[in-house]
Amino acid sequence: MDLPEQNGFRAGARRVWRVAGQTLVEAVRLRLTGLLTAVGAGLVLMALWLRTFNFGAAELKFVADFGLGVMSLLGTLLAALSTAHLTFRDMDGGLVAVVLTRRVGRGEYLAGKAAGVAALLALFVATLALVLGVLLAVRGTQIGAAFVPLPVFLQACALVWLKLTLVAAMTLLVCSYAGSELFAVCAGLLLAVVAHLRPFTQAEGWLAWLRVWPNLGLFDAEPLLAGASLGVAGLLGLAGYWALFVGLFTALAVYVFRHREI
Amino acid sequence: MRIGEQWAVELDGFAKSYPVGWGGLRVRAVEALTLRLPPGQVLGLLGPNGSGKSTTLKALAGLLRPSSGCCRIFGDPAGSDAARSRIGYLPEAVRFATHQSGREFLRYCAGLSSLPDGLATLRIDSVLAWTGLGEAAGRRIATYSKGMRQRLGLAQAVLHDPEVVLLDEPTSGLDPEGRLAVVRLIRELAAQGRTVVFTSHLLAQAEGVCDRLALLGKGRLLASGTVDELLGRFERTPVATSQLEQIYLEKLHGPS
Repeated sequence: MDLPEQNGFRAGARRVWRVAGQTLVEAVRLRLTGLLTAVGAGLVLMALWLRTFNFGAAELKFVADFGLGVMSLLGTLLAALSTAHLTFRDMDGGLVAVVLTRRVGRGEYLAGKAAGVAALLALFVATLALVLGVLLAVRGTQIGAAFVPLPVFLQACALVWLKLTLVAAMTLLVCSYAGSELFAVCAGLLLAVVAHLRPFTQAEGWLAWLRVWPNLGLFDAEPLLAGASLGVAGLLGLAGYWALFVGLFTALAVYVFRHREI
Repeated sequence: MRIGEQWAVELDGFAKSYPVGWGGLRVRAVEALTLRLPPGQVLGLLGPNGSGKSTTLKALAGLLRPSSGCCRIFGDPAGSDAARSRIGYLPEAVRFATHQSGREFLRYCAGLSSLPDGLATLRIDSVLAWTGLGEAAGRRIATYSKGMRQRLGLAQAVLHDPEVVLLDEPTSGLDPEGRLAVVRLIRELAAQGRTVVFTSHLLAQAEGVCDRLALLGKGRLLASGTVDELLGRFERTPVATSQLEQIYLEKLHGPS
């Protein structure tokens, strides 16, 4: 059968797009995704009842901090669990063989998986951001107080998404060599914890080796909500930092996966 | 085969071993297997569980690398782009994304094979009709019986019109009716001039399907040849089990 060119960049990009689309559809249909999204939305709404424990912060700031914290925590779980589950479901069920015996490169397959999970995390963050945004707007109207402008709020949500995709990339790296889904989830979450410990490694000490690992503390949205501004240079720098590590982890995952026997 | 023609499938001293534990110990799954299959023939790789059938097929599909020797598809190393563009592969006990319909799954596979939309639609309709899944094409795969899923697996394997079709235990777990349906499809693949390699531990069913047989046991090639050659070489009086099963057991355990 005469087929169109299959080796070019565009052909490869189309295959990545197909795998990403399939991954996204499967990810959205996972019970885990529905559960974490529902629990997340419920917890964000619960911030209204918890506002008396605000430790002296303004009510809207407390609600926003709490909501973004929920987004970050549950999102981290979703990133690790969905990446590992979707990868191992394909491997254990033989579908990865159906894909890789076609003209799909292993790098294209993993890039598609990563893109699909990134899209899922974008949907997750967008859903919880919508709930949180509506809650802040309604409560702000009720108490006659104004909170941070919408662009700053969106920046804060974008930072959470960047952090979650970085966790997904770490988990994908583990999946590329792990023998079981459970190991991949545990290791992925452990690596995320390590990346959260980076702010504590400024001083010399036994944790100093962690400096080679990405610092997820850089993606904390709290300073933004407190009135700090990232600025264009700051945003670009952070995006570059994210791209560097996501690219590095994905490239390593592809290298390892290329040598993996299925 | 004439000089200048290529073997469709070629295993040349293929061996595969896997590491076990941390002590550097390796277990041999396949030992120095040499087989050649001309285009358009059906080869049955037969043997019990653990005999190295699936390992051999996976190596031909390019999913794992030989520890020594080589595997080629029409002269190209297995796993290369050129080889992959000429094969269709059905893994053993594949689990499909059950939320999709059969047609949606085939559409996904067609996209991965870079089939243009118009051609993809034609090919999907064609393989659905061929496998008898036309009426069920719009139903979710979750509602398919095991036999229907296996036929869907066959449909994806031939969707892009490959010259070599590799089928790993295509009749495993099927009832007699489903098994017969799959065997009929394999016969039709052969009639279309495709080269087919399939694995099975059901020796009897191979007799009527294969041009050539390779009997594997404990990773070694016990016997190979055409069905007639093997049956002629090991002629036996009919008993309850098939003649091939008798021959196989004799090769594996020695004459009783």
